[in-house]
Amino acid sequence: MHLDLSELSQLAPIFRELFKGFHISRRDPELYAQLSNFQDQYRGLFKALGFELVCDTRGFYYFVPELAAAQVNKTAQRLSLFTFILVEHLADQGRDPMAVLDGGSLGRDELPSLLEKYRDLFIQAEVQTQDELEEKIMRRMTQLGFASEENGIYRFLPPMHRFLDVCLSVQQDRDLAASLHSALPLPTPELVDDDSDEQLLKTDDPLDLSPFEETEEQALARAIAEEQQEIDA
Amino acid sequence: MIEPKRVLRALAEHWALLEPLCEHFDQGTLSLGELRQQLAARQLDSTPQDITSLLDVWIRLDILVPVAKSPNRFELNAQIHDFLAYLRREHRLGLCLEIEAYLRHLERLAGHIQDAFDIRDGNDLARQLRLLDMRVRDVLKKLDNDEQALVAVAERAKTSDRQIPLRQRYAEVLATWDEYVEPMIQLVNADGAFEQGVRKVENVLLRLLGEQQRLGHLVDDDMLLRTHARILEMQTSAQLTLRHARELLLPLREEARRHNAVTRGAALALSVIRRKGLDALPQAAMPMFTRPQSTFLGSASQVEAYVYALARFEPKPAQFPKSHKTSKGETPRAPRTVKEMLERCESALPMPDLMVWLLEQEPNGATDELLYWFSRLSREKRFSRERLERRDYHTREHQVSLRSFALISSRDEPLDPSASTPHAS
Repeated sequence: MHLDLSELSQLAPIFRELFKGFHISRRDPELYAQLSNFQDQYRGLFKALGFELVCDTRGFYYFVPELAAAQVNKTAQRLSLFTFILVEHLADQGRDPMAVLDGGSLGRDELPSLLEKYRDLFIQAEVQTQDELEEKIMRRMTQLGFASEENGIYRFLPPMHRFLDVCLSVQQDRDLAASLHSALPLPTPELVDDDSDEQLLKTDDPLDLSPFEETEEQALARAIAEEQQEIDA
Repeated sequence: MIEPKRVLRALAEHWALLEPLCEHFDQGTLSLGELRQQLAARQLDSTPQDITSLLDVWIRLDILVPVAKSPNRFELNAQIHDFLAYLRREHRLGLCLEIEAYLRHLERLAGHIQDAFDIRDGNDLARQLRLLDMRVRDVLKKLDNDEQALVAVAERAKTSDRQIPLRQRYAEVLATWDEYVEPMIQLVNADGAFEQGVRKVENVLLRLLGEQQRLGHLVDDDMLLRTHARILEMQTSAQLTLRHARELLLPLREEARRHNAVTRGAALALSVIRRKGLDALPQAAMPMFTRPQSTFLGSASQVEAYVYALARFEPKPAQFPKSHKTSKGETPRAPRTVKEMLERCESALPMPDLMVWLLEQEPNGATDELLYWFSRLSREKRFSRERLERRDYHTREHQVSLRSFALISSRDEPLDPSASTPHAS
């Protein structure tokens, strides 16, 4: 395939956003238009670089991590949990969950009651306060392009379909339904611990500056361990 | 016997009052009080006597009829109601069973036609053919009405309040699908009752045409051909109505089903999480995405350069120095190791200002390297540190502003146990 880099005028911002895990939808009109106009070129270029660009017909683009490296992380779990909760909460209130999650909006003022009602579930995702809910879930959602926030209103964007798809696949998962009524434990998926040092350090990516993300204590502990090895040697 | 003209005249004269009432009668019956209230609201200048006489006229003309066993409640005469619905283009969806019943009747009529022909009864044959023709028109009328009603069902679902649950919003669509469209699909199937009935009637008519040629005419051929054409029109019309119904309602039904599935899925997931924890969700179902790289510090041009370089990557052989050759010129200085720096730093204790000491040690050091050593040495647990006031330091290339540390050995009295973070900028 012939690639004319001058055509791909938004390459740098597109790559930067996708690489961050961001989902590009019509909310970012320039990037979205570039991707839809040169979909094949972008997909080809990214594929050659080892990134799989997914073009979802419902109107969004994202990078899928390589299978070998792909493990369900805490963020995905948290955001899925939040979606489940929101769907049930809206349905309980007699509101239409699809209308809200597919292009609708939710006020920040609704979060406290949501947190109160589903406290037992949010605790499992290590979310206990309104601040944590906003930081660990709502901010992540906006960072990843699932929602946008303006004047205390969260508007849900087309990539939310990825979480609605989770609801559908759970619904179709007969084993899961059956397991509800059995005492046998479910197979536990292997998870990447977001906070684990090793995972942060394990990277061949020249642009990955993750060591800088270490906390002071972690950096210190690591440096001391290295030094100890060096001194012992 | 009520004179038709009088009924029609009353309908025309009172249309402005009757039309809005139709909507109420579509929903159910009205009590005398409610009726008076409705009419009074429409005719502000009328007296109660006027309204009484108006209602009287309608009741006498059989436009309004009392509800059975509730003489104080009224409804529109069913025939008038249908006629008004037709005029208002308000269509009520009929039953698929009605169409099936009509078809059975058509089949019976075809039998009668055959019998009349067999006994060469021309009058009966003509009468039965007319009946058949009228029945086919009934079916056509019904199909047309149903199609309009289906459009209305879809429109109501699409335009109703988005805030009410989809299940309620689309309840009519789902019911219509189950009660009308699904049985219609069965009916109009290639081996369904509709096709069978049509074929049976068609065969009788075609055989009749042939027999008439052979045995002589009992009825006009045109009449047979016209009926045959109408039968085929009915068949096409049924297929079109069905196709239209599917196009209108299928997407809405799918949306409702998907909505139900999403709500059920969410509830199922939550109950699994409640019982077995967040990790119990099947991994395969979870969306995977790259971890948000908030750590990503590359500037736009760096990213561009990176992608560009990768796209244009060409392998080059690496040039390693040969062991037997001595390098000319100055030997590059070996990088300092942490061990070496720590030892030098330790021997210089107590140190009034770490940054000043570093600048003395490495007057030509690059700024980033100096800052690295500053960070590394200030955190070393062998030293105790005390934060100093912010001031400027001049490296070879830059001026940096930071709050440096005074260091002593941690074996001595710690200077400032609370100063755990360097505040450099």
